[in-house]
Amino acid sequence: MVSKRSSFCSGSATRAAACRSQVDLVTSQPVNTAKLERMLSDRGISRRRFLEFCGAVAVALGLSEAFAPSIQEALAEGIVGKAEGKLIPVIWLELASCTGCTESFAQVDTPDIATVVLELISLTYSETLSAGAGFSLEEAKEETIANGGHIVVIEGALMEGWDGNALRIANEKGTEIVKHAVSTAKAVICAGSCSVDGGWQAAKPNPGGAIGIQNYLQKAFDAGEISSIPPIINVPTCPANPEHLVAVLIEVLLLDRLPVLDRFNKPAQIFGQFIHENCPRRGHFENGEFVYQFGSEEEALGYCLYPMGCKGPQTKNDCPIVRWNRRVSWCVEAGAPCIGCAVSDPTTNKRNWVDLNSPFLKRFHSINIMNYVFQPATLAVAAAGLVVAALAVHGFGWKISGRFAGGAPIEKERAWDIRHPNKAVSTTMRKVAAKKDRVLNAQLIKEESEEKYFDSVSKAALASQAEGHLARQQANPEKASDTNDNTDQTQGGE
Amino acid sequence: MAHLAHYREAHPLPYVITHWINLLSMIVLAFTGFVIHFPFLPGIMGLCRGAHLFFACLVLVNMAFRIFSSPFIKSAPNMGTREKRQDMFVFLPQKDNRHQFGAWIKYYLFLKKDHPLSGKYGVPQKLAYLAVIPLTLFIAFTGFCLWVPTSDWLLMQFFTDLVGGVMAVRIIHYWTMWIMIIFVMLHVYLSIANGLAPLKMIFLWKEHGGLVYDPKTKNIIGEDDLGEEHA
Repeated sequence: MVSKRSSFCSGSATRAAACRSQVDLVTSQPVNTAKLERMLSDRGISRRRFLEFCGAVAVALGLSEAFAPSIQEALAEGIVGKAEGKLIPVIWLELASCTGCTESFAQVDTPDIATVVLELISLTYSETLSAGAGFSLEEAKEETIANGGHIVVIEGALMEGWDGNALRIANEKGTEIVKHAVSTAKAVICAGSCSVDGGWQAAKPNPGGAIGIQNYLQKAFDAGEISSIPPIINVPTCPANPEHLVAVLIEVLLLDRLPVLDRFNKPAQIFGQFIHENCPRRGHFENGEFVYQFGSEEEALGYCLYPMGCKGPQTKNDCPIVRWNRRVSWCVEAGAPCIGCAVSDPTTNKRNWVDLNSPFLKRFHSINIMNYVFQPATLAVAAAGLVVAALAVHGFGWKISGRFAGGAPIEKERAWDIRHPNKAVSTTMRKVAAKKDRVLNAQLIKEESEEKYFDSVSKAALASQAEGHLARQQANPEKASDTNDNTDQTQGGE
Repeated sequence: MAHLAHYREAHPLPYVITHWINLLSMIVLAFTGFVIHFPFLPGIMGLCRGAHLFFACLVLVNMAFRIFSSPFIKSAPNMGTREKRQDMFVFLPQKDNRHQFGAWIKYYLFLKKDHPLSGKYGVPQKLAYLAVIPLTLFIAFTGFCLWVPTSDWLLMQFFTDLVGGVMAVRIIHYWTMWIMIIFVMLHVYLSIANGLAPLKMIFLWKEHGGLVYDPKTKNIIGEDDLGEEHA
């Protein structure tokens, strides 16, 4: 059993370590694989399809498809282990949500491998998927929480509104349910954007006080309501992509380690690159071939959806590679611009992906100030227009006052200088003042001699001027020293 | 003639060239930026993205040259004089600028009839030119927050997270460009408010006569018509 080997590696565990643990798996018993294949064929899934699935999971985990047998082995051990009662139990909590994430797993017309695998994994509690209901199911959940070491998968946002009463399940506040369920949990997986950043529920005006799980747990921890926060793995998108969830669950449950996470606690392998970078329409973008209107010829040609507000260039996800609906297609491939459902930021409740990206068909999101909603371009053009109008009015005034032609006469002295002649910037002004005050005259000449940037002619003129002054000083040394002593006082008194 | 003479010493040739580079780069950057924001002209997206990056780097190099060459290139400390000093003391606030902020504002608002004396530039003008330096650095920085190869550098990532993601950075980048555009509008208006002669100087390096300013006394000392009639 793999889970015995180690506790979770840290989020920064290297890929090399991950590969080693994968290689170890190959050596485990093949007996379980045969058992698993029998279990799957009972449910109508061939060995070939199962191996394809394992290859896809390996890719989603950031490994080569060559690791498919290792994944198969791990799944076999896990699922067979579950039959023997050894597997980590999973509780699936459904909070304020549309059940879309559950549907994303469960809505299948043929037995879907991911669903079957998840079903086979020990999903002990799920409002939607569990066959049981009522008291017995709640009791099973309580038992799981009491035993501890389980995984909590959370779908949907928490509601803090009306003291947490905005969301009540089984006569209990959602906030209390979550705090209780994670108290002994080994890890929390936030499935879908609502549980990551509050999602649609948290979009303005958010009367119910919707909030993402990580953000809420941090608040509860800071308030001392919970003693610790288990590792959180955020798997956004709307709905959560089953491929992503299965990959993360397999890594956590069967390989017994956390995926490598980025600074938003999202699996770095999945949410590491912009959609734009791997988009099948990227060639059209570079060529400048765009769709400007739905139903147009350009749309039929499959051109780039950038002008239709596609958020692919600012959304990090591996949609173009993993795709959706069992790798059939995905939004942009199907002709819809990306709406950026993966940009969820779990660290703040000030913005969520809906507010950040709506209106979905515009290049910018709208700004909402005091309930005035407008596009950033509108504000910019309005500000520039205001300046143009002000300049036009000013220009008329400029013309009427005759400043265009010939211009206004330049002032004889600075207005400030006239009010403060002794400290004037203009030397001419200070000379006027100095005529009345020999102290200032001496100071003026001293300062002038310090100026270094005049040309040689000016310097010579200055020197001769200074010499003249020096001669006067020598002729009457007593008075000159008196005036120097008083210099500071005179200045200070101004 | 009520204006100061405009001599070549006020704008040494290297800075006439840097001004040309700035003008052309800003036009290209604004145009390509609009195309990148919304491709109103199809077919040139790849070209515009390349040009946008190239001219952004050109503006930065140009600005670095303009600033770091200023201790080594001399220019006149004022209009109306041929005396020169290190340019760094000319574009930074000068003694001639002191106490003149209020006077300039009053003059622009028609509350003061005569034209204030000043240093190389008027006080609001000089403040605006100095503000362009951090503004350019900021708009370039936000640009590099958006350009994928540099977007995951620590500082860029920190800023992007601080303001709330790539979308917020895009809006800030866009608004900063509009602040630049508003600056250019004011700059052009005030440059030609006293006639077109300053344009001839900065673009064609042609002098025109006028009053002569003495940086020593910091006042007007005479008039120079460059030996011919000037309107």
